[in-house]
Amino acid sequence: MKEIVFNQVCKSYDQNQVVKNLNMKVEGGERLILLGPSGCGKSTTLRMIAGLEDITSGDLYLGDKRVNDVESGDRNVSMVFQNYALYPHMTVRQNISYALKVNKFPSDEINSRTSEAIRMLDLTGLEERKPKELSGGQRQRVALARAIVKRADYFLLDEPLSNLDAQLRAYARKELVKIHEQYHQTFVYVTHDQIEAMTVGQKIALMNEGTLQAFDTPQNIYKKPANVFTAKFIGSPPANVVEASYDAGYLYIEGAKMKLPDAWCKVVGSRNRLYFGIRPEDIHLTRAPKDKDYAMKALVRYVENYGNQLGVYFQVKGMEMLAICEDAAPMPGENVYFEPDFDKIHLFDIETTNNLGYPKKLQ
Amino acid sequence: MKIDKKQWLYQILFAAITIVLLFPIIFAISNSFKTLEEATNHIWRFIPAAPTLENYRHVFERLPFVRITMNTFLIAFTVTVFKSLTSILAAYAFVFLDFKGKGSLYFVLISTMFIPFTVTMIPNYITVSALGLNDNIWGVALPQLSDALGIFLLRQSMRTVPKSLIEVARMEKIGHARIIRDILLPLVKPAVVSTGIIFFINSWNEYVWPVLILKSKENYTLSLALQMFISSEGGTDFTVAMAVSVTTMIVPLILYMIFQKYIINTFALSGVKG
Repeated sequence: MKEIVFNQVCKSYDQNQVVKNLNMKVEGGERLILLGPSGCGKSTTLRMIAGLEDITSGDLYLGDKRVNDVESGDRNVSMVFQNYALYPHMTVRQNISYALKVNKFPSDEINSRTSEAIRMLDLTGLEERKPKELSGGQRQRVALARAIVKRADYFLLDEPLSNLDAQLRAYARKELVKIHEQYHQTFVYVTHDQIEAMTVGQKIALMNEGTLQAFDTPQNIYKKPANVFTAKFIGSPPANVVEASYDAGYLYIEGAKMKLPDAWCKVVGSRNRLYFGIRPEDIHLTRAPKDKDYAMKALVRYVENYGNQLGVYFQVKGMEMLAICEDAAPMPGENVYFEPDFDKIHLFDIETTNNLGYPKKLQ
Repeated sequence: MKIDKKQWLYQILFAAITIVLLFPIIFAISNSFKTLEEATNHIWRFIPAAPTLENYRHVFERLPFVRITMNTFLIAFTVTVFKSLTSILAAYAFVFLDFKGKGSLYFVLISTMFIPFTVTMIPNYITVSALGLNDNIWGVALPQLSDALGIFLLRQSMRTVPKSLIEVARMEKIGHARIIRDILLPLVKPAVVSTGIIFFINSWNEYVWPVLILKSKENYTLSLALQMFISSEGGTDFTVAMAVSVTTMIVPLILYMIFQKYIINTFALSGVKG
């Protein structure tokens, strides 16, 4: 009952369309991450759910109710803002309990909810402090506590961790998941950080230039990217995606060729141009390939040390790609073979950039 | 602390400007406590040889001075309250609400700041007369109940408040009046106080408009009473005129002294030269 449904939702500012024809269903109690680069329309989408932005066209449903014209205060949503939006002149306790007081909750209820939130978010001892007397992490927790006490069905978070340092961020991610597991609200979380998306999300909606690029579980988004944008955006370092051509069972990259397994040839069909994608960790660089027909000659250009791994930049003819090696890597200037793990390659249409799908045995 | 040559120059300049600005005030205060004879013979003597309250007594005897002060206060108070209220509401709408034509409306409103008083004086006079408010202190107050300067100053100050504070409150189903009272006003209090003081002082010192509307002495404001003692009607009693001057300026001066920190901050933030 607590689902969120977008039905052909568009949002424009004058001539500028920032969300284009969005169709998406978030299941009740699910943790959805809206992910994408700056300006992709993810925050606008969140603000449309919150009722802080009007919807230009299309329908938005919260549960069974169409909420296009429903005021923000009547939507049963609570939100944590990127800048936390704490009332600077109120103490921590006042910040948390203010809305309950204004909405005339009984004082017992106000006290019990406030105290519970304070305890849960480890704010004990800070109740009488003003926001300026708190650290970034404490402010973030007060903002969360304020959103929690409302016990709304929908919990919206707009880049809530972006002002925290890396260590605190990792801790706060776990806390957020814990909170969700306790209350089970429908949780919509905006971020541009894919680690946050992968660790917090049960589903990810990846957006770019106002369009939904992919809508799937973090696992699928990573392992079966829906299109070239998804493959390149998700993953650090991102997937290698290069233009390739196909002819009679062979894949050509800049003139270099290798055989494509039969199952993949069926996927390619009659196309002779396409994009070939592979994640850096799915590449083997070897001096002695298992089968030279299923490998391409490559030249190692540069090796980066990541501590636990090595990043090897290599070229197939003129096309540069990156491989991640766990242990001994070839030396710069060395000639090797580029041997992809064919269970983990991705092929995309040259026009639409959409994933062509996977051979049956891989599905 | 070592003060360099440039700073010395600034200090001297500030001292000179302060003396020039303070001079008329000290001149008025000192002469208001002199007899007419002493004032005539020793006009530049700043400490009276035999200080007297005679001039003040004379003022209170000749005019319904308490009534006049009350009139001035009532007008200034009403104007301040209404102008502040309308400015707060309008500035809130301009900053935090979205409505069609917001930009153009603000432009029109701000342009009224550049219309000289002399242009609106006659239409206002006709309107106030038609409402039967001639020779009535409410006729003086009426055309001043809202004002573009206040909206401009408060809008500048409200723009520094993050919009998300208001959005959080909206999501909690808190009404606009409550948002203004509980969230916005505590944050923009210095600007509201200083804008109010400016409204009060301006209204207190207003001369041309009251002189047009008010005819009978019991309805006069302090600036009109002061004029009586300076013009031929009031005679040439210079020391009494100084006593009225001091009485007129004492309230704005005290207000300014108490709230000067707020006033300077507001103008510094809005980029307006005082």
